[in-house]
Amino acid sequence: MIVSERLRPRLRACLALLVLIPALALVGHAQAATKKLKIGVTLHPYYSFVANIVGDRAEVVPLIPGEANPHNYQPQPADITRAMTLDALVVNGIGHDEWAGSIVKAAGRGANLPIIQANASVALIPIGGDQSGAKVVNPHTFVSTTAAIQQVFEIARRLGELDPDNAATYRRNAMAYAGRIRALRARFMSRFAELDLTTFRCATTHAGYDYLMQEFGLFVSAVIEPRHGVAPTARQLANTIEAIKKAQVRVLFAEKTFSLDLAKPIEAATGVKVFTLSHITGGTYSADEFEIAMAENLETLAAAVEYSQR
Amino acid sequence: MASQPMNDLDADLSAGKPGQVVRPASGRWESAAMVLLTLGVIACLAGYLLLRPREVDPPAALSWQVRSFDGLNAVDQAIHSALLPAGEEIIWNNNDTGGWITLEQAQKIVLPPFYRDAFWKSNGEVHWQLILPGSHQAHARTPDGEAASAAQSPSQVSQATQGQGAAVYYGSGGQLPGQSAYLLVIGHAHAGVMWANQATIWVHRDPNAPYPGIVKPEALVSKGWRQVIAYDGASEIERVKGTQP
Repeated sequence: MIVSERLRPRLRACLALLVLIPALALVGHAQAATKKLKIGVTLHPYYSFVANIVGDRAEVVPLIPGEANPHNYQPQPADITRAMTLDALVVNGIGHDEWAGSIVKAAGRGANLPIIQANASVALIPIGGDQSGAKVVNPHTFVSTTAAIQQVFEIARRLGELDPDNAATYRRNAMAYAGRIRALRARFMSRFAELDLTTFRCATTHAGYDYLMQEFGLFVSAVIEPRHGVAPTARQLANTIEAIKKAQVRVLFAEKTFSLDLAKPIEAATGVKVFTLSHITGGTYSADEFEIAMAENLETLAAAVEYSQR
Repeated sequence: MASQPMNDLDADLSAGKPGQVVRPASGRWESAAMVLLTLGVIACLAGYLLLRPREVDPPAALSWQVRSFDGLNAVDQAIHSALLPAGEEIIWNNNDTGGWITLEQAQKIVLPPFYRDAFWKSNGEVHWQLILPGSHQAHARTPDGEAASAAQSPSQVSQATQGQGAAVYYGSGGQLPGQSAYLLVIGHAHAGVMWANQATIWVHRDPNAPYPGIVKPEALVSKGWRQVIAYDGASEIERVKGTQP
């Protein structure tokens, strides 16, 4: 069939469209299939947890700057902008990142941003020490290995619900990560195996380490801060010093990233030796930050127990 | 000094006549409005008090349950905390492989509370046994290996058969004062048990309590086992915010 010269350009255009339209549709589909979820996190340990669970299948987005102190954080405009782009947000939810709710609300995502409560299935324990007889929930579940693994599993399960195509990968990665955390713990457990832990008594400036102590069968005799982030009064400090002397505590754990202003007078008054543990709530976000910080914490804990045996 | 002339009202009052009552131009509607406003405020306050979001109390334990947060001692609490993620991993492993993590495997993968490390040592050196689905009666033994005494009645065997789908990690013989015996009961979907693929944790005040044989809840309760209710993050969020996550 001979096509006239006049119709030939139109025919070419139609053919081009026939080829291009399916191609464009395929590109769109491929983009949708490879779209990575943006998972927001509020605290440093959750960055490590989520990064190890998702691998390269999703993007991990810290909600607040790495150097910010989550204990008294004031939300910033940039946090709100970040929250607007998230597909889910992983939170502690039990007292360590209450500001996250304000950010989500201000971003207009209160109704449609899935919130993953990392601690939803973690068995909580009270803050150690006296606490005036009250049983106060300790929110520092991430300063541990066992409770950390429980959170990793919870996050993986919830992410799998949000992203079913990658659910099997998330679960596999979570189990592998849990295995690494347990191996880390086991390495230090062997150092404890020969020690008598029954007589070990310690005090802490911040109620951040009860879950960690529980794993090693260690007990906190006194906590200096009467409430999370609240400095003690002179009377409370005097009572705590008395309790430390009475319980024959030889070790005081202070927070690595906090000032030692509170620890030094107690050291002077009671003769305890001060060791510092990390809260894992500051610095650069990274996938291996939790393992590095926990290794340091376990090293410190082992050193403190060994010191107490002398 | 000359006195000021009196007006009509002063004159009437001086003369003992009653004064003229001036009625408000609004016809006393302000009083009614004030009453209505007061009633409205009271109604609003009452409505707020009745409908305000309330803090929910932590779930109360039933007579056959115990709360992990404030009902267990430190050792039981530590073992319970370790059993929770262990149960999750055991279930996931079962989903993937169809098998159960044996106590030998638990040593290899350093899985607490079964792994014999400093944690195991400082928490009473509990003796753990794995009772696989379908073998409950056969494993009804004391920690010392003695067979359970009486022969099973037909109804007991029937009950045990119904519960055969559960895999159980049974811990006993803990050496610390006040320590319990432990059961991690994992329902298995294939047997159609009521808590399929779900782990429940039970404790018994006697650290040497024999293996119960039948692991259905009512049977466990009748033998003095108590289910541990974890006070978890979801419960805490509900208590503080009045909403489930």
